Amino acid sequence: MLARVANNLFWMGRYLERTEHIARYLNVNYFSSFDAPNETSQSRQFVLNSIVRMVDDDPEKETVLFEKKVLFDAALNDEKIFSIKSYFRMARDNASSARDMISTELFESINKLHHYINNYSIEYFTERGLDEFTMYVSKAVAQIKSNIVTTMMHDDTYAIIHLGINLERATDVIRIIDTKYKDALSVQNETDFATSYEWTILLRCIQSFDMMKRHYKKAPTSKNTLDFLILNPECPKSVMSCLNNAKCHIDYLNKNHHSLASAFLIGKLRAKYHYKRINEIEIGFDKFIQEIISELDEICISIEDELFKH
Amino acid sequence: MQYHYKIKYATHNTYENPVNNALWQFLIEPKNNDSQFLETSNFRDSYNTLVSKSVNGYGFKTFRVTPKNQITDIIFEAEFSLIKNQVEVQSQDSNLYSKDIIEINSDPFKIEYHSFLKDTILTTLPSDKKNIFLFDDQKTTFENLKALNKWVFIFLYYTIGVTNNRTELKDLITNNKGVAKDFAHLFCAIARQHNIPTRYVSGFLNQDNTYFGASEIHSWVECFVPNVGWVGFDPTNNMMADFNHIKIAHGKDYNDCASLKGIIFSVGKNTTKYSVDVVCQEFIQDKSASLNHISAYNIINKKAL
Amino acid sequence: MESKKTLPIFSSYKTNPIFYDEIFKNDKEIRNTYDELFKLFNEYKVDDFKLLNEKAKLSFLNQGITFQVYDKTTVEKVFPFDLFPKIITADEWDHIESGALQRSKALNLFLYDVYHKKQIIKDGIVPIELISSSENYLDQMNGLEPPGGIYNHISGTDIIKHSDGEYYVLEDNIRCPSGVSYVVSNRVALKRAMFGVFNNYPTCPVANYSENLLEIMQSVKPAGVDIPTCVVITPGIYNSAYYEHSFLAKSMGIELVEGRDLFIEKDFVYMKTIYGPVKIDVIYRRIDDAFIDPLEFNPDSVLGVPGLFAAYKKGNVTLVNAPGTGVADDKAIYTYMPQIIKYYLNEEPILNNVHTYHCSRPKELAYVLDNIDKLVIKPVDESGGYGISIGNKLTKEEIEKVKAVIKETPRKYIAQPIMALSTHATFIDEKQCFEPRHVDLRTFTLLGKDKEFVLKGGLTRVALKEGNLIVNSSQGGGSKDTWVLKR
Repeated sequence: MLARVANNLFWMGRYLERTEHIARYLNVNYFSSFDAPNETSQSRQFVLNSIVRMVDDDPEKETVLFEKKVLFDAALNDEKIFSIKSYFRMARDNASSARDMISTELFESINKLHHYINNYSIEYFTERGLDEFTMYVSKAVAQIKSNIVTTMMHDDTYAIIHLGINLERATDVIRIIDTKYKDALSVQNETDFATSYEWTILLRCIQSFDMMKRHYKKAPTSKNTLDFLILNPECPKSVMSCLNNAKCHIDYLNKNHHSLASAFLIGKLRAKYHYKRINEIEIGFDKFIQEIISELDEICISIEDELFKH
Repeated sequence: MQYHYKIKYATHNTYENPVNNALWQFLIEPKNNDSQFLETSNFRDSYNTLVSKSVNGYGFKTFRVTPKNQITDIIFEAEFSLIKNQVEVQSQDSNLYSKDIIEINSDPFKIEYHSFLKDTILTTLPSDKKNIFLFDDQKTTFENLKALNKWVFIFLYYTIGVTNNRTELKDLITNNKGVAKDFAHLFCAIARQHNIPTRYVSGFLNQDNTYFGASEIHSWVECFVPNVGWVGFDPTNNMMADFNHIKIAHGKDYNDCASLKGIIFSVGKNTTKYSVDVVCQEFIQDKSASLNHISAYNIINKKAL
Repeated sequence: MESKKTLPIFSSYKTNPIFYDEIFKNDKEIRNTYDELFKLFNEYKVDDFKLLNEKAKLSFLNQGITFQVYDKTTVEKVFPFDLFPKIITADEWDHIESGALQRSKALNLFLYDVYHKKQIIKDGIVPIELISSSENYLDQMNGLEPPGGIYNHISGTDIIKHSDGEYYVLEDNIRCPSGVSYVVSNRVALKRAMFGVFNNYPTCPVANYSENLLEIMQSVKPAGVDIPTCVVITPGIYNSAYYEHSFLAKSMGIELVEGRDLFIEKDFVYMKTIYGPVKIDVIYRRIDDAFIDPLEFNPDSVLGVPGLFAAYKKGNVTLVNAPGTGVADDKAIYTYMPQIIKYYLNEEPILNNVHTYHCSRPKELAYVLDNIDKLVIKPVDESGGYGISIGNKLTKEEIEKVKAVIKETPRKYIAQPIMALSTHATFIDEKQCFEPRHVDLRTFTLLGKDKEFVLKGGLTRVALKEGNLIVNSSQGGGSKDTWVLKR
């Protein structure tokens, strides 16, 4: 496979995953807030702030956020690189560049969503379309990902795409955890941090609420939520599960190489969290976030150097 | 008579921003022909990159360099040693231009030399300047070309910094200032206008004398004179190409002979400094040396046909 | 309008006796070949047919079978597809196929000659000016031996049916003829939309183009290579024909590369893969000559590969089509085609040539200037329908402008009588009914070492604007599926 095309496929996977997470985050965060038990969690400013911190790496320091603008920026503003529209455009551009390598069905499903997003009325979106739009996008991305699994050879192309998807999922899940963790902190004078409603929202943002309930048979708390989303290898969205998957895919690629440093790095990170307890994470939460983000970055840089340059 | 040359070529390129991906191609190695013989050839850069040797579209040898590292400046150095023969031209064999015209306008002649009869963007005379220099029917073709050589020499003033690699004749004629490349382009255009096959030549020039253009890669021309063969003219110095001229390559114009072509992926400014050092080192008396003394045109002539 | 929706879709079809209509002999009689098909189509009510039409269009859009047009911004467009196919009988096709093949072979021999001995010029058949003044003649190709002796591996021949019912060749495209991907996707779309129609017409397949193209590419591998690695090179995703490039690579199962994926070492070509460099032997290049190698041609090109030409010259890689083929699809060469065919093949041309006036010849120039209203003026070295003026569509002022342009550089223009392209039934969206529109046919011919292939069918292009004679997609044309009937 061409190094450039591998790069395209990797980033196609990453942008697809990111699109899905942002779409769901917007939807869940916005709509769950209406019936939140405490006052601040219901406040529009609180919700909008949470959205801005999640999507934008470098938010402007604005005291008052305007709902229409925040939602438009996050979803359909093509001048913002973090909007769903921009991310998905990049996913599609990457897919186009690798078009001869991916199945017709996969390209068609990507292209269809591209047209849907591009033709979506901005006016309608800001008035009434948030739910419809974000639901459609997250479902369509799920459909696209299922096309990757069912219409393509499970070879190196597949491994590269899934490497991208899983590393992105790990990153996104961590970003979402970080955002909601801070949300929970900021409302702790109204509601107990450990049993905050924000944990429920967090689980829903990552589509893991039902799974978590089945697993723990308890209401979400800070401890069991973080444990489930970070360390539980059986939760398909957990950081642990992402690392396990990434390891499988890099190992597949490693068969044809003598030894990939990125395979080593992924293995090392996986082992580290395999033997981690949630208490250790809770003690130094900020440090944990910083560490794992930079560890994931290091892996991506190493993949880029080893596979995409040549 | 034979001359022994040592030629040093160096260029120093610096870039404002680091360059990750670059490729340079040098067309600077003197070619072997019947008046010159290349003894040694060395080329290297300051990173000691593997140099790949190739040829350009016209078969002249090139050096190509693609450094693997990120660079902000790079020095290329080449050294050649070469034996050069005195070039003799049998000018007395040239016919009157009026007589040559019959051959020049014949189809076989036009077919044989069509590549060097057509205009390029750099050698197109503006439509109102097509008659800027006219041949005299009563002189030989050779004399006409010599007159043209002198005319170009007088018409243009050797001035550095006025023209660039893309300067077209309409601007050159208006400003009448330029460097060797421009002298050669103007000569090519006018000679071709008179249906004389003319090729643009790049090369080194002996620095022992005070010739124009000797401090860099020089340019002159070669014309195909019926009954005589390819003959070199140097309009920048109003002289015939002789033992002072060491040929690298020829083509239709500068673009075919550019000594350095770079493909650089970077933004920002860059500077290139050249130096050319040509020393006519010794005077070899021994006729048994590596090359026999043969008058140049005979063999070049045979090759062309 | 309401009543029209329930009418049969052919109810307002009116033929024009000036043109040959491929469906109707006159307003009432249907030509035999189309009898069954017409009945099938005429059963549709406007509304039902519209629905089918919309569905087909949407499927093209979703699949991304599109092209991009150069406007102020790049716009992605579906190449309009008409559901009513063009039918060519087996006998008619034999004539077209042998004619297209004959032309391609003659052009190949011509190219070999003009880059070697130039015997055809020495023998006075073609004037030297035609190559010495052609911008597409590459001096660098002189004396070069392309593997298998093939220059135009892929030729696209544009053919029309004139009012006399005869086929004429309008032009030969032997640089990078495009459109073949639409032939295949049109067939797929038609099969999906109206599978029933194929029961009545045994039609030759078109999907075998790619495997034949790959075999052709493999047949011209460089000397000493056992199993050649072949690739398609594209300018990238923003090129107007990117869909076609990806289609070709995908259907041949080979890599689609861009210039930046390749590099040259010691005059061999390599592609950068995740497992390291892989040597490449045959390149189907969809990049124009001027852009394939910035060291040799346009120095500003970022699409090409520096050093590619030197590798080609050394015989280490084969380029398909060879550089410099453009000299022979120059429209000025076109006029010499009958003589060129006779000269190299000692055969009479099978397909007619349209009479052409060379503006470079003073007498013909005078005729052209006096008769512009009866002629089509074409620049000799443009493709894609750009720069064409149709005399009877010009205002007086425009005629004067065209005259001035021709006088400035007569060599750049040729003129032909306005050909009466045949008309074919085409569904017109705005009018919600079938109307006659002008069509031509681009055939695709492949030449390799000891191998030749003509795609049975080709791209029927249709000018969607009423009365328009220019069928190019860049000028608002559409296309139809083309059926070659089995015997």
